[in-house]
Amino acid sequence: MLPDWSAGTLAALLGWGTLVGLDLVSVPQGMLARPLVAGTMTGLLVGDLETGLRLGALIELFALDVMPVGASRYPDFGPPTVAVVAGAAGLPGSWHEMLGLWGALGLALAGVGAWSLVWLRQLNATAIRRAGAALLAGERTAPGRLQRGGLARDAGRSLGLTAIGLVAAAGLRAMPTLDLPTGAALTVVLVGAGIGAALHGAIRSAATTGRLQRLAVGLVFGAVIAGFA
Amino acid sequence: MTSRGGVRQALLRLIAVQGVWSNERMHGVGMAWAAQPLLEDLGGFDPQRLAEARVRSAEPFNCHPHLAGVALGAEVRAEFDGVPGTQIARLRLTLGGPLGALGDQFFWAGLVPLLAAAALALTAVGLGPWPVLGFVVIYNGIRIAVARWSLRVGLEHGTAVGAAMQTSWLPGAAAGIGPWAGLAMGLAVPLVGRWLLVERPVIDVGATVAVAVVTVAGAWRLRARLSPIRLALVLVAGVLLVRLGAG
Repeated sequence: MLPDWSAGTLAALLGWGTLVGLDLVSVPQGMLARPLVAGTMTGLLVGDLETGLRLGALIELFALDVMPVGASRYPDFGPPTVAVVAGAAGLPGSWHEMLGLWGALGLALAGVGAWSLVWLRQLNATAIRRAGAALLAGERTAPGRLQRGGLARDAGRSLGLTAIGLVAAAGLRAMPTLDLPTGAALTVVLVGAGIGAALHGAIRSAATTGRLQRLAVGLVFGAVIAGFA
Repeated sequence: MTSRGGVRQALLRLIAVQGVWSNERMHGVGMAWAAQPLLEDLGGFDPQRLAEARVRSAEPFNCHPHLAGVALGAEVRAEFDGVPGTQIARLRLTLGGPLGALGDQFFWAGLVPLLAAAALALTAVGLGPWPVLGFVVIYNGIRIAVARWSLRVGLEHGTAVGAAMQTSWLPGAAAGIGPWAGLAMGLAVPLVGRWLLVERPVIDVGATVAVAVVTVAGAWRLRARLSPIRLALVLVAGVLLVRLGAG
């Protein structure tokens, strides 16, 4: 079943995906690139908030393991989340059939996003080297020109990643649906791995035993609340 | 010294300080772009100094982007105070590491997981998109306030900004926020797990816990080669092969 995105919806998805991709590193770093935020907004755009929230939450668990620090290579979850939420929106069937499969597509695309960031940095470095003489001469317009170029490159990267994601999502949507046991098994795997990723991130960033103790207390309380809810 | 309009413009430009990030200069060029509106007034009484300051401001630099204002303000103040260029270059070099570490601890390892986990937990208990909106609004409110404070501290203290930072609220907040982030993440994980697996049989819940344990252990032992994402994708491929092969 191919998605029935109107031209307006497609333009909105590409625009939102571009903004989300820019937000990760370049501008404004306002947490729009977080999967939970990107997914929720996409769900609202395509008229399926529940899909946006659930897929966004699932991918957010993996994002909690990632520290976007300096020169390290890290996944770009934002545009992929936009794509998979748009692709999965309005599909018939239960959550358990599709959450895992669509989440896995989002993670694979986030890996492509990681590579695209490496290419972006290389292109930026080339542009800066070319402007080396102007920077050394203290030319007033050089930094602004480089900034605009860098932002345009990142916008192109984000737009491209969103477009690739939407094509992949449309392809997955057109494929025959998995049977319930297979879909449910994938969901169990992805939710389990997501929980493991979030806990791994929490343990890794726990510089003090105080943080580990609070994590344990939170787990106990969370389990109790989940049991009663 | 610097005009109010210049400060406002510099603050706006700091939002895009990583706009042309590269492995060589990191956000050096972004710093030069943000410094421009502040340095303009320097040209009025020392054009030669302004030209040199522009070159210095584009030198390689890295720190946490939300705290870049501290270094920017300190550097601009030092230029106006006539501090020798070599000393300004040293100041830039010495500020990067501590500002990076403080910012990573406060924002990336503290505030972001705290707010994201709180939003996840509240969404999982049925509050819909509102916790997500709250996450974005609260984060950006704090981030903008910190950016304004950072630039002001830098401009006020110049070369003495290191000491001013040490005695400020930030080191304490960076250390204090971590345990709360841990608590929020602990709370969120079971709630989100239950929400995503609602109405599944107990055996699925058991399998989910087993996969989670394998992921933590695998990622802990083989971090460089096997991130949780890779592990998840390997497991997904395995399930698909087994199930579709059996079909």
